[in-house]
Amino acid sequence: MRLRRHWFSGLIALAVIVFLWAPLVIVAINSVNSDTLLVSWKGFTTHWYSQAAHNGTVQSGVKQTMTIALGSTAISLVLAVTGALWWRRASPRARRTFDGLTYLRIMLPEVVFAVALFLLFSKIQFPLGTTAVVIGHVVWNSAYATLIIQARVATLDPALEDAASDLGANPWRVFRRVTLPGLLPGIVAAGLLAFTFSFDDVVTSYFLTGAGTAPLPVVLLSMIRFRITPEINAIGMLVMLFTVSMFAIGFIAVTQMGRGARKALALPEVRQ
Amino acid sequence: MRYAGRALRSVLALPTLAWMVLFFLVPLGLIVVYSFATISLVTYDISYGWTVSNYRQIHDPLYFDTLTRSIFLSLTATIGCLLLGFPLAYFISRQPARWQRLLLVLVIVPFWSSFIVRTYAMVNLIDNGGPLEDVLHTLHVWSGPLNILYRPKGIALGIVYSYLPLMVLPIYVSLERIDYALIDAAGDLGANSRRTFRRVTLPLAMPGVAVGCIIVGIPALGEYVIPEILGGGKTLMLGNVITDQFLSVGDYPFGSAIAVALMAVMAAALVLARVVQRRAPV
Repeated sequence: MRLRRHWFSGLIALAVIVFLWAPLVIVAINSVNSDTLLVSWKGFTTHWYSQAAHNGTVQSGVKQTMTIALGSTAISLVLAVTGALWWRRASPRARRTFDGLTYLRIMLPEVVFAVALFLLFSKIQFPLGTTAVVIGHVVWNSAYATLIIQARVATLDPALEDAASDLGANPWRVFRRVTLPGLLPGIVAAGLLAFTFSFDDVVTSYFLTGAGTAPLPVVLLSMIRFRITPEINAIGMLVMLFTVSMFAIGFIAVTQMGRGARKALALPEVRQ
Repeated sequence: MRYAGRALRSVLALPTLAWMVLFFLVPLGLIVVYSFATISLVTYDISYGWTVSNYRQIHDPLYFDTLTRSIFLSLTATIGCLLLGFPLAYFISRQPARWQRLLLVLVIVPFWSSFIVRTYAMVNLIDNGGPLEDVLHTLHVWSGPLNILYRPKGIALGIVYSYLPLMVLPIYVSLERIDYALIDAAGDLGANSRRTFRRVTLPLAMPGVAVGCIIVGIPALGEYVIPEILGGGKTLMLGNVITDQFLSVGDYPFGSAIAVALMAVMAAALVLARVVQRRAPV
C-alpha cells in the first residue's frame, strides 16, 4: 500500500540517485581503463594512478591545497566561534544584520566576490598567493562554519555557564571548561565542512593564486582545458576516498564527543 | 563587572566583523567604484569618474545575450532541480527513519568527491555515443545523436547535477517536519490523497522550496566552472565573461560593471522571492 502510494516519487527518486552516482561510476571505471581516449573499455590498468602519483604539479598542488584548507579552516573556526558567542547575547537587530551578512557571503556568486577581492589585492598591491587564497576562502568558509556553530550554540544551556561563573570561574575558565566542550561537536562538524569546501574550491583559488603554486582543483582545471587526461579520474578517486574517510572519522568523533561532552557537563551535578 | 562582561562580549564580534568589512564589503564597494571608471587598454591607467559607458557596453548584443542566457540557464536549472528534487525529497521524507538516513547519505556522498572531476565526468556521460545516449536509445525516448555537450543544454544539465542536493535538503527538512496528524485530519475530513498533497503537504513544504530555489538559482547565475568545462571554453555565461575581462583582457572597469549587474539581478531575484513568500498562504 505504502509503496504503491509513493511509486511515482519513488521512481523519480531512484532515477535521480542513479543520475547522481553515474558520473562517479564513470570516474571509477575510467580511472582503471587503459583506453587513452576513454571511449571504450580496453582492459584494466593502474597506470593512471602511478602517473598521477608521479606528476610534480599534482604533488605540489596537493600540498598547496592542504596548506590552504588547514589555514582557512583554522581561521574560519576562530571567527565562527567568537562570532556565534557574540551572536548568542546580541540584540535581535544586531543578530538580523549579522545573519544577513552571513547568508550574503554564502549566496553571492563566487565569481563576483573573487574578482572583488582580486581587485582589492591588486589595488593595494598585496601579493597574490597562499595568504591571499586563505584570506579569500575564510570569507565564505567562516560563513558556513558560523551557521553550524550557531545551531550548536543555540542548544547550550546558559545556566551552566552562569553556574560556573557564580562558583568563581573567570570568563576564560568558563569558556574553556564549559562552553568549549559543549561546542566541540559543532566545531568538528564545521571544521570538516570548511576543510572540504576549501579543498574543493576552484574559483576563489583561481583568481587569487597568481603565478605561484596552484592548488589541486586549479591544476585539474588547466589539465582538463589542455586535453583529455585519464589521470584526472585517478586523482578524482583518490580525492573522494580521502574526503569520505575523513567524514567517516569526523562522524565517529562527533558522536563520541557528543557523549563525552554530555558526560563532562553532567559530572558536576552528580558530584554535588 | 557587568560592564566589563558586556565590553568583552562586543570584542567577540570584532574578528568576524573586521574580516567581513575588510575582505568582503570593501572589495564589493571597490568593484562598484571601478564599474564607473574607465581604463586605457594601452597603458592600463585607470581614470575614475562617474561614467556609465561600462553599463552601456553591456547592451552590446555580445554581452547582453550572455546576460539573458545566464538568467535563462539559471532559471531552467532551478526548475530542473525542483522537478527532480521535490519528488526525491518527498519520497525520502515518507520512508522509515533508518531508510531516510541511508537515502540522504546516497544523495550527499557524491558531493564529497571533487567537484571539478565530477563535472569532467559529465563530459563523458552526456557526450554523443556516451552512456546517457545509450540509455535514452534503449528506452526509446530519443533517437539519433544527443547533441547537448558544449551547448547550453549541457550546461543546464551540469548545473542541475551539481546543485541538486542544495534543493533536496531544505525541501526534505520542511517535509520531514510536517505533523502527520494534519495529513490524517485532511483524510478524515474527506480529502483524497491528491487534494491532501495540494492543500496540506505542498503549502507546508513551500518554505523549503523557497530556500532551495534561492540557494540554487542565485549562485548558478554566476557559475564559472560548469560552463567552462561543459560549454567547451566558449563564453556562455556571465561568470566566464567576468573572468575573461579580469584575467585576459584586463578591462577591470567593464568586468566590474558586469559583476555589479550580476549583483543587481541577484538583488532583484531576492526581492521577488520575498514578495512571493509574503503573498503565499501560511
